Amino acid sequence: MNISSYQKEKVLSFHGPLTINLLSFIGNYLKSVVNTDQVLSSRLYKIFIELTQNVSYYSAEVKEVERGIKSGVGWFLLNEYDEYFIFTTGNLIKKEDGFKLTRNCTEINSLDEEDLRRLKRKTRGEAKIRDIGAHIGLIQTGLLSGNLLDFRISEINNKHSYFTISVRLNK
Amino acid sequence: MENIVIKEVQDSPYYPSIDFNAENGVCEIAGESYMEETFKFYSPLLDWINKYIKEVGRPLTFNFKLTYFNTNSSRLILDMLDIIKKYQDEGGRVSVNWYYDPEDPDMVDEIQDFELETNVKINLIKFK
Repeated sequence: MNISSYQKEKVLSFHGPLTINLLSFIGNYLKSVVNTDQVLSSRLYKIFIELTQNVSYYSAEVKEVERGIKSGVGWFLLNEYDEYFIFTTGNLIKKEDGFKLTRNCTEINSLDEEDLRRLKRKTRGEAKIRDIGAHIGLIQTGLLSGNLLDFRISEINNKHSYFTISVRLNK
Repeated sequence: MENIVIKEVQDSPYYPSIDFNAENGVCEIAGESYMEETFKFYSPLLDWINKYIKEVGRPLTFNFKLTYFNTNSSRLILDMLDIIKKYQDEGGRVSVNWYYDPEDPDMVDEIQDFELETNVKINLIKFK
């Protein structure tokens, strides 16, 4: 587990179990530390929550953080550049989930804002009440970012792959 | 019928505060919503609304004062609005107000999407 913070370039990074309390703490820290306008700060916070919660819920690597309470393990990294922020997450996934993730991200990247909103409404309306899935979180991330999702799936072994996703948020 | 009151807790800001009042039919949800077990949190609220409609049957007013909700929470808010729409279609009187920060343009899109999905009229009220 490592937290580091710098004035420039790398703003924040973490690797370990992404518990709700940790995400809440760092998310609120982000709101105060990112020296930018309110809209940008708010979008960065929303993207942070959506993508890190996807890691927390769907990572194939899970750690028991308290007795009986498990949390997905992965990492995130926020970099700041002159013109934009880049937020990246990475986590282990089941190999069979790679195809679905590729299909979803490719679909999101092919749509403009109006079509993305239409897809979000359709996906949300059709989702089961108890488990909405990661898809709508990625759609929302695409909407908030206004840029393409830069994703990569690398095969690890017969059972697992590694999923990384980077999102650019223009200043 | 009992009220539901959940105060906002500083240590767990991912739960919104809740004030569902069975005496005056005013239901308020405020703060942020991105808890882990979304269904577990929202299920009693959905049950409360259904029970109010069935047993009390008077007008309802919903005041949403959510400043942020994740996509999982949005699914349960949609369920809430679907129940409201059904009650309206059956003759129930319900008004829905959404208090929003005008400096958050994404929230207006979210509310418009809820209106499109449910056909429930949502009154936009600036709070800042």
